[in-house]
Amino acid sequence: MAPQIYFELKNAVVGIAGLGGLGSNVGVALTRLKVGKLILADFDVVEESNLTRQNYFSDQVGRHKVDASIENFRRINPDANLEGRKVRLTPEKVVEVFKECHVIAECFDRADQKQMIVETVLTKMRDVIIVSVSGLAGYGRSNEIVTRRVSDRLVLVGDTVSGTGPGVPLTAPRVGIAAYHQANAVTEILLNELHTKLARNKT
Amino acid sequence: MSAVLKINGTEKTFDEGIPSNLSELLTALEIDAATVVAEIDGKIIERKDFEKTALNETQSIELIRFVGGG
Repeated sequence: MAPQIYFELKNAVVGIAGLGGLGSNVGVALTRLKVGKLILADFDVVEESNLTRQNYFSDQVGRHKVDASIENFRRINPDANLEGRKVRLTPEKVVEVFKECHVIAECFDRADQKQMIVETVLTKMRDVIIVSVSGLAGYGRSNEIVTRRVSDRLVLVGDTVSGTGPGVPLTAPRVGIAAYHQANAVTEILLNELHTKLARNKT
Repeated sequence: MSAVLKINGTEKTFDEGIPSNLSELLTALEIDAATVVAEIDGKIIERKDFEKTALNETQSIELIRFVGGG
């Protein structure tokens, strides 16, 4: 990759809200890109059932996802600047935890939590862009997962309809497609839209 | 009397008149308010204000729906 791209990403701060199938994989991609700082928020611990699609390993079962993710990302880049927050995110906490972020990746599992953070970012956090995901359950139908610009500060990834439910599991391939759509949207925003801001921030 | 609302770029007809507020619109559409971010004429309406947000035919209403999974 061109050194210039690394240089700009070095000044970026990205929040990852939730470290499940989306967040644990988005974090891998952004760590490999050497994004300047990642703020990782999750209250949960790794469970055996998570290993079907989330970026954890069997010897990490029982550990906090924040701790396990930091360990995994540091194996990719020992110098990565990672801030872990073991919190259950509420509107107030979202604003506090992610205040220095340029972009936030919404990586929650529950629909009402997705609604909460998108509404909070759009109404309470000026200038911050949020990349959210809705509709990724099941398998196949790769090309139905799309990235759509809803408004200046909201990007929506997914097929918009495939929620989890009886007989509709979350699978590693389709969750992975959505996670990498999301990471790619974050990258595009940082490099194409925040270019000036990130270049100015260098100190 | 029937009336029309513009929702997500599509006109939707209500045979018995426009729902009196955003909350009633979601009920009529059978959408759980807890999973929707709503925008009217480019402005985000917070969920707590759905009930006091009146609707009319000139508005452009965007309903962004979330389904579970991540």
